[in-house]
Amino acid sequence: MHALFLAWQYLVFNRFRSLTMVACVTLIAVLPLSLEVLLDESERQLLARAQSTPLLLGARGSALDLVMNALYFDDEIPELISLLAVDELLATDLAEPVPLYTRFNARGFPIVGTTLDYFDFRALGMAQGRQMALLGEAVLGASVAESLGLKPGDSLLSSPETVFDLAGIYPLKMKIVGVLERSHTPDDLAVFTDVRTTWVIEGMGHGHQDVSQVTDETLIMQRTESGVVASPKLFQYNEITADNIDSFHFHGDAREYPLTAVIVIPDDTKSSTILRGRYLEEAKLNQIVLPEKVIDGLLQNIFRIKNVLDAVIVLVGSATLLALVLVFALSLRLRQRELQTIFKLGCSRATIAYLLAAEIFIIGLIAGALCVSLLYVVDGYSSDLVRSLFIN
Amino acid sequence: MINIQSLEFHYPGDGFSLAIDQFDVAQGEKVAVIGPSGSGKTTLLNLAAGIIKSERGSIAVADTQIEQLSDAQRRDFRINNIGFVFQDFELIEYLNVMDNIIHPYRITRSLQLSPSVRQRAIELAEKIGIGDKLKRYANDLSQGEKQRVAICRALLPGPKLVFADEATGNLDPRNKGRILDLLFDNVAEQGTTLLAVTHDHELLPRFDRVVDFLQFHEPDPA
Amino acid sequence: MKIRIFNIIVFLVTMGQFATAAIADDRLHIYTVNYPLQYFAQRIAGEHAEVVFPAPPAIDPAFWTPNVQTVGAYQRADLILLNGANYAKWINKVSLPRRRLVDTSTGFAENYIDAGSGAAHSHGRGATHAHAGVAFTTWLDLQQAVHQADAIRQAIIKQRPQLKVAVGKNFARLESDLLALDAELKSIVSGNQNQALLASHPVYQYLARRYGVTLHSLVWEPDEYPEPSQWKALENLAQAHAAKWMLWEGTPAAESVKQLKEMGIGSIVFDPCANLPAQGDFLSVMRNNLAALKQAF
Repeated sequence: MHALFLAWQYLVFNRFRSLTMVACVTLIAVLPLSLEVLLDESERQLLARAQSTPLLLGARGSALDLVMNALYFDDEIPELISLLAVDELLATDLAEPVPLYTRFNARGFPIVGTTLDYFDFRALGMAQGRQMALLGEAVLGASVAESLGLKPGDSLLSSPETVFDLAGIYPLKMKIVGVLERSHTPDDLAVFTDVRTTWVIEGMGHGHQDVSQVTDETLIMQRTESGVVASPKLFQYNEITADNIDSFHFHGDAREYPLTAVIVIPDDTKSSTILRGRYLEEAKLNQIVLPEKVIDGLLQNIFRIKNVLDAVIVLVGSATLLALVLVFALSLRLRQRELQTIFKLGCSRATIAYLLAAEIFIIGLIAGALCVSLLYVVDGYSSDLVRSLFIN
Repeated sequence: MINIQSLEFHYPGDGFSLAIDQFDVAQGEKVAVIGPSGSGKTTLLNLAAGIIKSERGSIAVADTQIEQLSDAQRRDFRINNIGFVFQDFELIEYLNVMDNIIHPYRITRSLQLSPSVRQRAIELAEKIGIGDKLKRYANDLSQGEKQRVAICRALLPGPKLVFADEATGNLDPRNKGRILDLLFDNVAEQGTTLLAVTHDHELLPRFDRVVDFLQFHEPDPA
Repeated sequence: MKIRIFNIIVFLVTMGQFATAAIADDRLHIYTVNYPLQYFAQRIAGEHAEVVFPAPPAIDPAFWTPNVQTVGAYQRADLILLNGANYAKWINKVSLPRRRLVDTSTGFAENYIDAGSGAAHSHGRGATHAHAGVAFTTWLDLQQAVHQADAIRQAIIKQRPQLKVAVGKNFARLESDLLALDAELKSIVSGNQNQALLASHPVYQYLARRYGVTLHSLVWEPDEYPEPSQWKALENLAQAHAAKWMLWEGTPAAESVKQLKEMGIGSIVFDPCANLPAQGDFLSVMRNNLAALKQAF
C-alpha cells in the first residue's frame, strides 16, 4: 500500500507527464479495440439486414449497388427495372414481391416508394399516427421525424432533381400521416410512401382539372369527338388532397413503370433455389441476388482492409510503447538521486523496483479504466455511429 | 559505538583506496571528520552504514559486525540504527513535509508506520521548528527548513547513530549554527552518537572530537 | 365429492368459454369491393370468416371511394377480395397490402370486354365518370362468377389450409346454385336467340356475351326522365334493332316506363346486384332477374 501511495504521489506531482502517459496507453489500447467494436457492429448490422432479406431482384449489373440501395437506401441508384418484373415473379407462384423505388429524396432523406407489405416484412410498427392509406401520404422513419421536427399532420416536399430543369421532376407535397417506431436500421432514416406516389413524383401520374369541364379556352389545345387535348398551361396539382385525389390518374403502360429493386420473399427454400436458378440465365435482363452472400463478400474485403489497419496500429502501438519505455527510462535517470537516497536510508532494490512497478500499475489501471469507459461509450453508440459513418 | 579495525577499501577502477587501522567513536560522542575532498570521508560513512562493503577489516557498529551481515541485514540494521542527514537535504520533492519525515517508514518493512509514529513526527517537527509547515512541499521551503525536515527524518526512528554528511554545507552562516544546535540538542537528548563530515572549521569547536581524515587516506600515486 | 364434481364443471365451462373465444378470434376477416364477392365469400367461408363490404347501400360500388378510416379497415383485413377488370378504381389511389389482395377474375382476364370510350356522366349527385376501358360486371356471366368464387375458395385455403374440406363443401354448394342459374339463363335466352334488347346502362356486356343476347346500351338513369335528345337516340336505336324490351338496373321512373310503352318497348328490371339488395340476397335477386327476363324471350 505504501508503494501505491508513493507511486500515486509521484504521478500526481508530475501530472502532465502522467496524463500524457495515460493518454498514450489509453489510445494504444482503445484504437484497435474500438475499431474491433465498430467493425463487429457494422458486420452485425450489415449481415442482419442482409440475412433478413431472402432475395433481391434487380437489373443485371452490380449486385453490390443493388443490395446497398435496396437494403440501406444508398445514394447510388442502380439500373432501373420495370413493374413487369413483379408480374413475371408473381407468375412463377414461387414468391411474394415487395417493390421498391428509391430514386427520389426529400430534404436529404431517401424517399422509399413501396407497398404496405414492406412494413409487415420488416416488422415496422407505428409510433405516431397511422399507416399510409391514400396516394400522396407518407410515413417517416423515427430519425427523419426527429431530425426535421415533423409529426403526423405536417407535410414534406420531395426535392426536385435539378433546380433549373423546369420541365423535369417537380416537387410533390406529401402529407405525413405517421411516424414509425425506431428500429435502429436504415428504415429510421427513410421517408416511406406508396410506390404509386413516387410514380406521381416521376410524372407518370398526375392530377388536374377535368378538361371536359374547363371553360378557359387557353387551357385547351384541341377538342375532338373522342376527347379533349389540354395545353401545357393546364395546372397540375403538386399536392394530393381529398378534393383532387379523384382527378389523379396514370398514363402509359403500368407494366413499364420503373422500380429500383424488388424484395423477393420465396414461399420456401425450394422456391428460392428454383428462382435463383431461373434468373441465372444470361439472357435474362434482371438478376436475383442473395443479399447475405453479397454483403459477406463486401465484409471479406473490409476485413482485408482491417488486417492492414491492424498491422498499422500494431506498428504505431509498438512505436508508442517504445516511446513510453524511453520516457520511463529517462524519468528513472532523473530520479537517480532520489533512488540512491532511499537506498542509503535502507530501502532494498526490490522495494525500489516495487515502487516503480506501482507507478506503471497505476498508469495501467487508469488507462485501463479510461479504455473500458471509452469502449463502453463506443459500444453504446456503435450502432448509430456505424449507421452514420459506414452505412449512410 | 563504532569500532573500525584494519579496514581496507578501494573503488574498482578509479585508483582510490582507503585504509584505516583503527577508528573508534564512543557512545554519545559527537565526532567531526574533516579532510580534503576525495579523501574518503563519505566512503567511511557508507562503510560504517553498510551501504558499501569493505574488502578487509572489521567494522563494529552498535556491537554489530557490519561486514558479516548480508545485504538485507545491513539494510535493516541501517534503517533501524542509523539516521542520515545529507548536504543536499535529499528530500523527496513529490511528498509534503510530513510524508518526507515519515518516509523511512514507507520504504522498509522493518519500520511500521502507525498513528503513534505520526504523532511523534508531529511533535518532533514542532520541536525542530517546522510544525506549521507539515503540508508544504520541499520546493516551498527555505534551505534551513529543508535541513530541519531532513533532521526530523533522520531522528524519527530513534537511531543510535546519526551520520551527517556536510549537513551545513548548503546553509547560510546563520542557519548553520541553528541547524547544528538542533542536531546537537536532539542527539544529546536521546544519547545518540553523531558522526559528522564537515568542511566548516568554524563549527569544529562544538564537537567532542575532530578526526582529520588525512591520516587514513593514501593518496593516489599518480 | 359434490364439491369435486362442482369444481370439474366450473373448469369445463371455463375451458369452453376460452375455446369459443379462441375460435371467434381465429375467424378470417375478409373485405370485398362489391356485394357479389361478399356473398360468395360468406357462402364459402361460412362461420370461419367475417366478410365485410363497407360501402353504403344504394351506392354503385364501382364508383365509390372509401374514406381513410375505411381504407384502414381494408388494410387490417386478412384478405381483400378484388373484382378485377379495374372495377374498384379507388384501389390505385390507396395503399393496401399486396400479399392479402386477391384479384378474383385474374383467371379469365384475357376475356375482359373492352367497354369503349364512353361519354362522361354522373349518377345523380355522384361524381362525373365514364364507362371507359374494360367492362367490369364480370359476375353477370355466371360461369365467370363460378371462377371468381373458386378464386375466393383458393385464397381462403391458402390462409387457412385446415379449412380445405369445409370450404370445399361450401363452394360446391355455391357452384351448384350458380351453375343452375347459368343453365336457366341459357334456357331462357335460347327460346328467342335473335331477340334484341336495349340496356339503360352499359353494364350487361358479360351477360350479353355469355348468353348470346343481342344488347344495345344507352346511358340512362332509372330514376331520371331522359332528355328529348336521349329519347330521340332511343328511337333510332329501337328502330335499327327492332328492340322491344329495355333492361333497367333498378326500378325505372314511371314516366319513363309509360313513354317506353307508348313506343312499344317494355321495361325489365335486371338488377346487377353490385350492392347489398334491400331484400333477399344475390341468389334471390338473380332469380327475380331471370323471372323478369322471361318476358323478353
